[in-house]
Amino acid sequence: MDREFWMELLEEAREIRRREADWAYIDMQPPRLRAALRYYVETGDFRTAARLAGLGVEEFLERAREAKIPLVL
Amino acid sequence: MTEAIADTSFLIDWARYSRRDLLWRLFDVVHLPESVLAEIYSEGTLAWIVDGLASRRMALFTETDDVVDLARRIVSLSRALPARGVDLPEAVCLAAGLKFGYVVLTENGGAVMAPSFLNELSPVKVMRALDVLHALAQAGHIGLRDEVARYQVETGHRFAKRDLRRLGLE
Repeated sequence: MDREFWMELLEEAREIRRREADWAYIDMQPPRLRAALRYYVETGDFRTAARLAGLGVEEFLERAREAKIPLVL
Repeated sequence: MTEAIADTSFLIDWARYSRRDLLWRLFDVVHLPESVLAEIYSEGTLAWIVDGLASRRMALFTETDDVVDLARRIVSLSRALPARGVDLPEAVCLAAGLKFGYVVLTENGGAVMAPSFLNELSPVKVMRALDVLHALAQAGHIGLRDEVARYQVETGHRFAKRDLRRLGLE
């Protein structure tokens, strides 16, 4: 796949995360987790998001699933 | 022998799939870097890994100094990627892919894109779950449309329409 395909794919992935996220649930979370979930929606960067949340990677992705944020790629 | 190396994002997603052992139809051995294993904690994922290690379908990959040095260089080079960089655990997978010819299994956007953007990594073959399902379908092991639907339901993963169109599924 060429570079343009990947860039468009990343943008579509961001749109899917934004659309499917349960924003009411996210807004109810403690500040660190809330910020981390928002960062993850925008970037898809789960490892940095996990660090922001103070969680392990798999644990963070579990919390993202609870917030209805899918893994997309 | 066909060998792969998997990162955290691929493992925890694929482990939720009821037909996860289809992976062994494509790969004789899937290597797990110690840095990746350290990120896994859930019972379901660990149970699959334990089974894989016990049956020798999976193998622990201990990062040697030369692999870590190469991985650190990949992390540095990846800062030039337009979207996001590659972290050390994924970079270890890419380094092993370059050094040993392993297929890299990942869902990490930076790692997926890296061979398209960094000339040094162009020989590395990277596969996501969708690519694995596609390869299984091409080999006649599954029907792609049904299995893609099953994978999304069981794992909560969403495949992008651009990707599905590319495979004739949209």
